[in-house]
Amino acid sequence: MAFNLPTETAKGKVREVELGAGDKAKKVGGENVLPFHLWEGDMPNKPLVAAEVSDEVGELIPALEKALGEVKNDPVAWARKAAEEWGADAIFLLLTSTDPKASNAAADAAAETVLKVEEAVSVPVIVYGTEDLDKDAELAKVIATKAEGKNLLIGPAKEENFKKVGAPAIGYKQTVAGMTPIDVNLAKQLNILLTNLGMEAERLVIDPTTGALGYGLEYTYSVMERLKIAGLMQDDAMTQMPMLANIGFQAWKTKEAKSSEDEYPEWGDPEKRGIMWETLTAVSLLLAGADILVLRHPESMRMVKQLIADLSG
Amino acid sequence: MEGNCRVLFLPDNRYIVVSRGDNLLRAAMDADVHINASCGGSGSCGKCRVVIEEGEVDREPNPKLTGADIAKGYAMACQTRVLSDLQVTVPLESRIGDKRIFERAEPTPAHGYLLAAADWEERLPEWVLDPPTRKVHLVLSEPTLDDNTSDAERIKRGLAVEAGLRDVVIDYPVLQRLPNMIRQSDWDITVTVLDSGDELRAVRIEQGDTTRRQSAIAIDVGTTTISAELIDLYTGEVTARASDYNAQVAFGEDVITRIIYATRGTGLAKLQSVVVGTIWNLIKNLVEQAGIEYCNITHVVVAGNTTITHLLLGLNPKYIREEPYIPSGTIFPWIKCSDIGLRIAAGVYLYAIPCVASYVGGDIVAGILASGVFNTDKMTLYIDIGTNGEMVLGNREWLLSCSCSAGPAFEGGGVKHGMRATGGAIEQVRIDKVGYEPMIITVGNRKPIGICGSGLIDLLSEMFLTGIMNEKGKINTDLPTDRVRDREGGAEYVLVWAEDSATRRDIVITEVDIDNLMRAKAAVYAGIEILLSSMDMDASMIDELLIAGAFGRYLEVDKAVTIGLLPDIGYDKIKFVGNGSLLGAHLAALSKEMLNKANEIARQMTYLELSMNPTFMDHYMSALFFPHTDLEAFPTVIEKLESVRSIQRMAAGTVAGEAEGS
Ligand code: FES
Repeated sequence: MAFNLPTETAKGKVREVELGAGDKAKKVGGENVLPFHLWEGDMPNKPLVAAEVSDEVGELIPALEKALGEVKNDPVAWARKAAEEWGADAIFLLLTSTDPKASNAAADAAAETVLKVEEAVSVPVIVYGTEDLDKDAELAKVIATKAEGKNLLIGPAKEENFKKVGAPAIGYKQTVAGMTPIDVNLAKQLNILLTNLGMEAERLVIDPTTGALGYGLEYTYSVMERLKIAGLMQDDAMTQMPMLANIGFQAWKTKEAKSSEDEYPEWGDPEKRGIMWETLTAVSLLLAGADILVLRHPESMRMVKQLIADLSG
Repeated sequence: MEGNCRVLFLPDNRYIVVSRGDNLLRAAMDADVHINASCGGSGSCGKCRVVIEEGEVDREPNPKLTGADIAKGYAMACQTRVLSDLQVTVPLESRIGDKRIFERAEPTPAHGYLLAAADWEERLPEWVLDPPTRKVHLVLSEPTLDDNTSDAERIKRGLAVEAGLRDVVIDYPVLQRLPNMIRQSDWDITVTVLDSGDELRAVRIEQGDTTRRQSAIAIDVGTTTISAELIDLYTGEVTARASDYNAQVAFGEDVITRIIYATRGTGLAKLQSVVVGTIWNLIKNLVEQAGIEYCNITHVVVAGNTTITHLLLGLNPKYIREEPYIPSGTIFPWIKCSDIGLRIAAGVYLYAIPCVASYVGGDIVAGILASGVFNTDKMTLYIDIGTNGEMVLGNREWLLSCSCSAGPAFEGGGVKHGMRATGGAIEQVRIDKVGYEPMIITVGNRKPIGICGSGLIDLLSEMFLTGIMNEKGKINTDLPTDRVRDREGGAEYVLVWAEDSATRRDIVITEVDIDNLMRAKAAVYAGIEILLSSMDMDASMIDELLIAGAFGRYLEVDKAVTIGLLPDIGYDKIKFVGNGSLLGAHLAALSKEMLNKANEIARQMTYLELSMNPTFMDHYMSALFFPHTDLEAFPTVIEKLESVRSIQRMAAGTVAGEAEGS
């Protein structure tokens, strides 16, 4: 008798969420299997690799400085390079300049940058504030209004400001990323709050908050895995949103990624080390169920994209 | 005053059947008909005006109601008693903001089902009147030189021959009194024999035949309240009832503070004497009420939680509080009342219903006994909600218990305007879905002072359904009413304006209050889920949910389900036990068989320590949401929410339409 691979099929399915509009639109989610269990179901959309672009950078780690070169002070050029040369599937635009604790740039000015970046690239754009509750709410309002019809993925909406971030997104048809601190219940609760506000479930992405390799990664991993299992196996409607993992930010602030060779000669080449730290974090979270991976280094992007291609057969 | 009346409310076109003499505002509340009522039904706000179209009522005279008003049929609902079938119109002014113009679905009865005498018979078929003490009347033959056995042996022989009681041990004080007593009474005596389960003991001797004069006392020794009953053991009837606050309250409201007090210096002795003092006063009261003598009392049965039982018996409670939470004992011997300083009469013994563990005590065991959970095939969940939420899952096959610390929120603690259910406490609340105006009733129809547990549950449920607060307990300050407002510590909802309150201050509920209440309900619900999941069950497998405790009396089941305190398993499965602890003590006082059952229950019940449970936190987090993160588990709440939202949308449409039209 021929051997049949035992399979476990899911009751539920992750929602397919569209990012961007028109020619630029891309879909994420839609899978009815655990990550890359392709013998049990489908992953109609490959996980997206998004390049983090910042509208204001301070001092950069040499490895990133080297990779970015000229474009680091020009978010438009940076985004274009990421999309065209590095093969990023999406741009994750971090509006660092708006941080009230730093430059505190006006929301209008930041919105201009957003529009320019959006204009310049042919991939979807994700726009994130700096996690200041009031400023992010203000940003969401201005950006959602000005970018009407662009279907940006705007975030992060949190429990404390979800109404103010969500309402303009509903009004101007944008998509929203809801962020909660590494907890299955809280992630689900925020989705309920947002949908009760009037947000379509098809316009929501979960940002479960990410930890880097060595810094709580296993915790993030298990929360993401549980969210995915709840959505697939228990058909829990409020966990069936694609998940975004904001990896670059976490990975590059670890000691292992940013220390120089002088500090830790035994750890070897810092450039390679930083890239590997980011890549390995990404690979782990890819297997935990991330649908959007936000990365900083072009080499990490290349490797992760390659891996996704290999795993997708 | 007997008889039922049918009260029809217009324009809602909804009726309710009430007893003749009932308060009209309460009737409206129960019929789910909104009437503005801001002063708790004390007759001072004058907002609850209605028109009596047909039928007879009794109006309490009130300055807000003139003769001319009465001539037109006006009445103030809170000051009006129903005397016949009625047709009542709620005029527009009493329904401000209420733009409902269509019929709604039939409401589910708010009244809970309270277990009654007939239920006990069904639940406890083996019950027979056979108390643990028995009085035996003996007429002994006088001793002679031929029959020269001792007085004690003579009595033992008499007990064996007359009553079949063999090997009775004679208590030392009885032995001391024996020789004179039997001779004075001409060998005609009554002996009281205690069957302690291990031995038979003659505990008292009296002259002549006193067998008709025998009573027992059953006591629920609660952390806050102590309730006692005097039971005539000859007839099995309760002849007097009394209750009072446990005087230990002065030494700490909860058991933990009392344990701490007890472990310092002479604290334990102090707490013991204080609770014995309360009990003594109650007994005095019972004896006076019934007009009996103290020496009619032959035994006492008490039920209390583990700590309180320790404090009453003078046992060191220290290790109850410290990991791994070990009580001195869980099964207690019969002791002489005088050993704990309770001097009722000579030879009165006391039995404390056994406990299961440090945080599941004799009160729960008594409740399980009284409600017949140990005797049923139905899968039953028994819950006693107080500062500790104790719960038991099981049936005749097995019993599993746990205790979760819910905190004092449902008793009004940690809530800005929370209070116990005493006069002036808001105990029922409705909020209009469109204008957000409240309708409140207080205990004793007095001017409101604060909000008690049932009022808080009503309030949360109404605030959630009307959208005044969201699933996270955050208040929506954008609503078009000045009753919601921002304050320094967070937003709040004004339930009673200062001018209508007895305190001359606004009575509010704040987001901090809501948070405390949400934690309390989450702890209880998490406990329920853990009990169920440790048996691989879910809420749908519960056949009957029994709610015990004083709190249960006022609790509205549908409201408790709406906020996710109780599982959504169908209101008809949820029943009230009343004071299960007192009922259990009562049964054990009347029947040896029941007392043995209590021991069996305590021995067989499994205790689950929640602090050891790795999934507690997860269950708790998912319950920190109204009604629950798992919305699918609360289908009736979803349904209600949808119906309220559609009413609100239609009302908004009406308002918009009116605005356009004008
Ligand atoms: S006067 Fe009746 S409720 Fe206030």
